[in-house]
Amino acid sequence: MSTRTIVVGSGPGASTAAMVLAAAGHDLTILEKGRNFFADLTSLRPATLFSNDELKTDRSFALPDPINEPRVFRTSETDLKPTVGLVQGLSQTVGGGAVHWDAKTPRYWDIDFKKLSLLGPIPGAAVEDWPFDYGEIAPFYEEIERLIGVQGDVAALPELTLRHAPRSGPLPMAPGPPQYSSLVVAGGCTKVGLHPFPAAMAINSREYDGRPACNNCGFCSGYGCPIQARVGALAPLRRALLSGAELRDSSTVVRIETSGSRATAVTWIDATGHRHTEAADQVVIGGNSIETVRLALLSSLPDPHQTTGRYLMFHWFTDGSGIFLDERLHAHRGRDHTHDIDDFADPDFPGARAAARAAGLPYFRAGKIELGGTDRPLDEAAQYQRILAIISPKRPFGVEFKRLMRSSLLRDRLLGITMMGEDLPYATNRVDLDPHVRDWRGLPVARITYGPGAHELAAQAFYIPWVVRLLEASGASATIAIPADPSSRFAIAEATVPQTEHVMGGMRMGNDPATSVTDSVGRHHFLDNVFVADGGVFPSSGGHNPTLTIMATAMRNSRQWT
Amino acid sequence: MTSISRRNVLRGGSLAALAALLPGELLAGCSSSSRATVSRRPSPLLVLSAAEAAVIEDAAARLIPGPLDDPEEVGHPGAREANVVRYIDTMLGALSVSPQAVFAGGPFSNRAGGTTDDMAEFIGLGPAEADAWKSRLEAYRSAYRRGVADLDRLAGGDFTSASDAEKDAVLVHDPEGFVTLLFAHAIEGMYAAPEYGGNAGLVGWRDISFPGDSQPRGYTAAEVSRSDGRDPYVPDPTSETLLALIRDSSGK
Repeated sequence: MSTRTIVVGSGPGASTAAMVLAAAGHDLTILEKGRNFFADLTSLRPATLFSNDELKTDRSFALPDPINEPRVFRTSETDLKPTVGLVQGLSQTVGGGAVHWDAKTPRYWDIDFKKLSLLGPIPGAAVEDWPFDYGEIAPFYEEIERLIGVQGDVAALPELTLRHAPRSGPLPMAPGPPQYSSLVVAGGCTKVGLHPFPAAMAINSREYDGRPACNNCGFCSGYGCPIQARVGALAPLRRALLSGAELRDSSTVVRIETSGSRATAVTWIDATGHRHTEAADQVVIGGNSIETVRLALLSSLPDPHQTTGRYLMFHWFTDGSGIFLDERLHAHRGRDHTHDIDDFADPDFPGARAAARAAGLPYFRAGKIELGGTDRPLDEAAQYQRILAIISPKRPFGVEFKRLMRSSLLRDRLLGITMMGEDLPYATNRVDLDPHVRDWRGLPVARITYGPGAHELAAQAFYIPWVVRLLEASGASATIAIPADPSSRFAIAEATVPQTEHVMGGMRMGNDPATSVTDSVGRHHFLDNVFVADGGVFPSSGGHNPTLTIMATAMRNSRQWT
Repeated sequence: MTSISRRNVLRGGSLAALAALLPGELLAGCSSSSRATVSRRPSPLLVLSAAEAAVIEDAAARLIPGPLDDPEEVGHPGAREANVVRYIDTMLGALSVSPQAVFAGGPFSNRAGGTTDDMAEFIGLGPAEADAWKSRLEAYRSAYRRGVADLDRLAGGDFTSASDAEKDAVLVHDPEGFVTLLFAHAIEGMYAAPEYGGNAGLVGWRDISFPGDSQPRGYTAAEVSRSDGRDPYVPDPTSETLLALIRDSSGK
């Protein structure tokens, strides 16, 4: 008799594990909380309801609505004014976080997987090695890159990137057309001695696997792809379904039932509000760091060392903006951005070691920078509304507003870059259940407690002047670089809430149950048949977009569950 | 997948802190000529009364003025011309139509090579969404009812018959944050896709040279990769103040 497996979630990690287990003969059902906005998911190119529609995204389409599915955010345990509402905005829909993404798929580096061994400890942080190294995961990277279709140019990767993340061959597709704004800022990077290159991304530059080439519509990050030039989790999900797996959308798992060291069943609520309890031989949770932890806590999964939810990591982002007064950059055309630099992910970047020592740290890292990109009109206009309240309080509207919209300093003349900063794992950065706030079903919501440590602050302080410098070298007439997720610990800003989509940790892998939640293959330390298949298992955050590594890790781990 | 973080550029507390460094130089208001006509809404209103709609239309036209509202805006349609009031009425009544008018459909409109306007066929709500939007729209409805009454009261009885200067003074007063909410909705009615009821004739997008949705045509490699050529910014006092704010804050 085949193993009865229930997979919670249908995002990149969950779908990858579902593909592996369904192919191995499991009798498998995927329960996805969100709705399904695709037609036949077993086809190569399912029809979709996603579109080029800024308001739809702003109205939380395919996202949890903060009105009745809020989260709580605190900057520390002693934060007396927690925020309730929109905290971190990953998709809640069939396909998960790989629906609203612009599909950037860099690999993590050797020093991410063996951080403790290769770079050493950092006081105050729980720096650990992963249970595997770059060499072990590299073949899984290749398999996922073929599965979801990655474009890029290995020959154009900097020596630094190839040294830390070696490649055995070319990517499946050549890069698509470079975006003008990305070329402009790549030029500035070269001028100041940095090394820009075409970003690896899981977007078709030609017809691939039955899906069309991207036509650069410009509604990329934050939008579902209307033409399936970007497939993401739907590729492994399709294979899971073709192997006989069943997908139930609008099905919210609220509890994993356990007995001793085993899960026995899953309780879930269907679209009409009815509760079901369904027996399972094996349970895979892939809800993302925050929702997976929430489910573990709602289920009171064994947690003798109180590690569940700890070591939560985002990427400590910095937004850089260059304003161009002589031309419009039309960054609304393209794939959000098309170029990256990796220089600031190097712990040995010139001056970085000395700056780290001055801050009392052995080393620090920021991460990759995404070069190019801008806002769309609703976000732009909302910014002007806020800005006019400051610069024109006697009349914060009217012709002044319309002038700003036409000049478009913050959209069509804006060149945006985004710097990721590696977050170290800290036991104090965590997810737990809020004691008061409940969602529309009456279940406690996730409470996030998160603040940067000395490493994050020192790295950001060192690299912010570099962000300004490379924008100035690109020809910007005015520049600004602001931490995208400021907290009360950052001097120039009061607390705001992280809206990053990069969430990692909380169910971290490790050999020691006192400092980790899952073992070296993502199995729960105290439950023999419960596995985690999302970024929650990451022991460190790296300095690059996590999704490719989430999928490769889920594939590597789940092949050892059967 | 990171660029939702772009929304945080210049947002929030950091900007407030930086703005404190600037002198409080304010911009001169614009005089206004008398108005010719009030545009007529072609379709019946779902939620708003005619009197409420008239107040909202006039208020939104002060926030985002067009040629009838400000002499500087000749050739530049505003909230009145975009039919922002219809956008707001459509939103407030979104749950009273079937399918509910919250999320426009997909994948294409008929504006960029699509043969039919899929976006005009709204996507009905699931139970979680319906629950959220019921709460949200009930709150909005009562905010509008109270807000319109406040605008009338602060204008001495009838907002629509007040002078432009009087209207502006009432709007700056922002009773219970209603004008902040109305401005946010007026922005959506001005610059969101026309399927939501506003942006009539795409006047919002045209005024800012934004092409809107581009599928299924998309853009050619040349359109993506090449410069559109020189297009110098023409200084205006508001943009200059914003530029000064940005320059002042850089590196701090």
